[in-house]
Amino acid sequence: MPSGSMSGGVSGPTSPPQPTVPSRPLRPSRYVPVSAATAFLVGSTSLFFCFTCPWLSEQFSVAVPIYNGIMFLFVLANFCMATFMDPGIFPRAEEDEDKEDDFRAPLYKTVEIRGIQVRMKWCSTCRFYRPPRCSHCSVCDNCVEDFDHHCPWVNNCIGRRNYRYFFLFLISLTAHIMGVFGFGLLFILYHTQQLDRVHSAVTMAVMCVAGLFFIPVAGLTGFHVVLVARGRTTNEQVTGKFRGGVNPFTNGCFRNVSHVLCSSQAPRYLGRKKKAQTVSVQPPFLRPQLTEAQLAAKVLDNGIHGDLHRSKSSLEMMESQSADAEPPPPPKPELRYPGMSRGPAGHPEESSLLNKAPPTPTMFKYRPTYSSPGKNHTALTHAYANQMSRGDSLKESSSSLLQSSQQPGYRSEPSLDGCEVGGAERSGAERTGGGPGGPPASGIPGYSLGGRSYPSFSDPTVLTGGASRSSSVRSSHNAPPSEATTSTSYKSLANQTPPPGPRNGSLSYDSLLTPSESPEFESAAPEMPPGRPRAPGVGYSSPYLSAQIAQQREAELHQPSASSAVLLASPQHAVYLRGSIASPPAPPERERERLLHDSQPHHHHHHHHHHHHRPPRFSRPPLLSDSGPTQPSYPYRTRSTDTPLPPNTHPPRSPHPPPLGKSLSYSSAAAAEMQYRLVRKASASVGGGGIQAPKDEIQMKSYSRTNGQPKPPFTPSSPSHPVSVSTRPGQAYSSAGSSQSPAHKPGGGVKKVTGVGGTTYEISV
Amino acid sequence: MAETHSLQDLRQAAVASKVFVQRDYASGTICKFQTKFPAELESRIDKQQFEETMQTLNNLYAEAEKLGGRSYLEGCLACLTAYTIFLCMETHYEKVLKKIAKYIQEQNEKIFAPLGLLLTDPIERGLRVVEITIFEDRSIGSR
Repeated sequence: MPSGSMSGGVSGPTSPPQPTVPSRPLRPSRYVPVSAATAFLVGSTSLFFCFTCPWLSEQFSVAVPIYNGIMFLFVLANFCMATFMDPGIFPRAEEDEDKEDDFRAPLYKTVEIRGIQVRMKWCSTCRFYRPPRCSHCSVCDNCVEDFDHHCPWVNNCIGRRNYRYFFLFLISLTAHIMGVFGFGLLFILYHTQQLDRVHSAVTMAVMCVAGLFFIPVAGLTGFHVVLVARGRTTNEQVTGKFRGGVNPFTNGCFRNVSHVLCSSQAPRYLGRKKKAQTVSVQPPFLRPQLTEAQLAAKVLDNGIHGDLHRSKSSLEMMESQSADAEPPPPPKPELRYPGMSRGPAGHPEESSLLNKAPPTPTMFKYRPTYSSPGKNHTALTHAYANQMSRGDSLKESSSSLLQSSQQPGYRSEPSLDGCEVGGAERSGAERTGGGPGGPPASGIPGYSLGGRSYPSFSDPTVLTGGASRSSSVRSSHNAPPSEATTSTSYKSLANQTPPPGPRNGSLSYDSLLTPSESPEFESAAPEMPPGRPRAPGVGYSSPYLSAQIAQQREAELHQPSASSAVLLASPQHAVYLRGSIASPPAPPERERERLLHDSQPHHHHHHHHHHHHRPPRFSRPPLLSDSGPTQPSYPYRTRSTDTPLPPNTHPPRSPHPPPLGKSLSYSSAAAAEMQYRLVRKASASVGGGGIQAPKDEIQMKSYSRTNGQPKPPFTPSSPSHPVSVSTRPGQAYSSAGSSQSPAHKPGGGVKKVTGVGGTTYEISV
Repeated sequence: MAETHSLQDLRQAAVASKVFVQRDYASGTICKFQTKFPAELESRIDKQQFEETMQTLNNLYAEAEKLGGRSYLEGCLACLTAYTIFLCMETHYEKVLKKIAKYIQEQNEKIFAPLGLLLTDPIERGLRVVEITIFEDRSIGSR
């Protein structure tokens, strides 16, 4: 049944203006597993009650059928709740909500949760940035809160609201199967002489069914018991988000369990009666008393609001996005805040955001408070830089970037995850190496460091140079195309399936114009040319820009292998990027990076996923900096990028460290990525071109390895969730493979794995 | 949109813009909204007042999501009755949501509407944002 919501008995919205989930065509194949499950459950239990229980109740006690009856009732109740209850679907955001997240809004926003940077991806179907742990289910075509998985056996997503019922269903079903099997066995043992009777035959049949289902169900139950104890969702476990071991959502075993079992039933968001607005708002309105500072700020702001509104909003969007993308080079200080030269006395709150930057009330004035305040101003400025299509805005952004990069506050923070030795060391080295404005000391953006996501722009010279380059490129090249593209909203672009444009790797305008919305398997993005000493953290959200810059860089840096344009997205190689970021400050790291660069030029993609041009929503801005690992924070940058690969011949695409990345990055990923990086390096050295197979293998191996669990834990789940769980990994792998293969072709296109509505399966390769 | 089209509402002020106060995820996925004062409201409302409103909302949501004896008993009862209790009884969270709706209504009437603002219950947006509608102030010397 199409996402029915049973809780409260309301199914679907009641009033037209209410945001609703669009109806989908009926697909009978969706109901096969749930029908089969229901049939087996009800059928077998009924046979058990009819043929086995009568004798048992006579022979032993009437408690036997009563116990089994209660158990069966419990199983059915939980099964029904899991099947019919709204898992926590978010209603589509209304038009006015994403007005600010318009064309140049970044694809990702980063937010810090307990010191760990988590990425929120823009959902083009639902039109909002997915809250942490939220995921868009392509089967149901909805964003679901605390998304666990889509279970085909109940034909419903399992999310925040119905996870408890699903969990109890598994436990009770296991107990029920054990009971049925046990009592059936008892029956048979007492009827060994009458096995030809119908009763015995039926009992044996029921036992067979029970025995057959026991193994996968018990395995899945055990798997979920572990998940609940660790405070993870299936999605997070399967995609290996917390491989490094730091889960920001856990509160300890006891609290995790009590949260699942004892918390109050979460409310549903869909189908709520919309309260009529009874308060009438009419002028004249009162005004609050303005303080002196506010008045001064108002004066300074005068006249700037309108001009900057657009860019500001985009800038704001970009700030978190820049975490994923390579931040643009820091803009020159004087150009950083357009029109603000006269206004040093900005709002005290806002000026505090940028330690060294002149306060720019206008810059932040219109910024919605998406991410935690105080953390995104650099990103904001970067985003701002990224977005600007006009030359001056670029300059401004670059100066802002420079400013932000120079802020010591953003540097390295101690990694939250103690086990991320690699990451920690790297970040440590980066830290020491890079002071404000130094080489990419800021290094790996927050992924490894507890709270920072935008370290990257540390090298002012490179950044500035890049910025100026990019700005020139942008203004010249990007202006016309950007005009054209901006006319189509990013969101609309995001929603399109990329046309089969020229994906042959040539940097064509068309390909730039047609961003592809693919799930997070960006793999296709070409690798950054190895050895690019670009300062990390230089990223542009505009694919055009990145492409141009990439080209320029290539020319400049005489990369041995054709570097893939930054445009291309992105693959998520945070590891690679991180390594490269740290290059200047840490010689040993640099060597390693160089090696990695040489062997795996594709790594740059990670940050350059913004292959799509402008609309940041589509993809992360491809890392302009070639090697620029600036972006480190997210290992799973997935955005698909349709941008054609530059005529680069990178053979190996940056394999994504974790097989399935997610839009969320966790600091733990750093260590994992380090591992992968080394693994990849090995694989890359194996052969340039046909890396597909080894990469996949390696990825899978590393996946299973880093998963922290041996393969077996997944096997039990696979039978039970052959579609839901295993498909995801499978899909991830296949998508990774498929996405990678095109990339590997010389100048091959990017393959995108898209779910319904252009959403991804939340796993990026 | 807060505007409707009935006769009496024609006098309702025009919507100038909307501010969206996002969730504060610093402590995890608990429902909490940012209390940072948005710049757009600078001239329209007292920072203090706004923060107080947001803080109260946050407290109410914390109360809704509290893992206490009450929610546990509710869960047990639901389990024992095969969840049929949900047909007749309102969950704890829903009760608190009603309280929140009442609080927002009251804040709107007393504080926000006179200032030309309107708060929208975040539950309508899936508890993702608090939407504050800023109405056009046609009086002299506005903005």
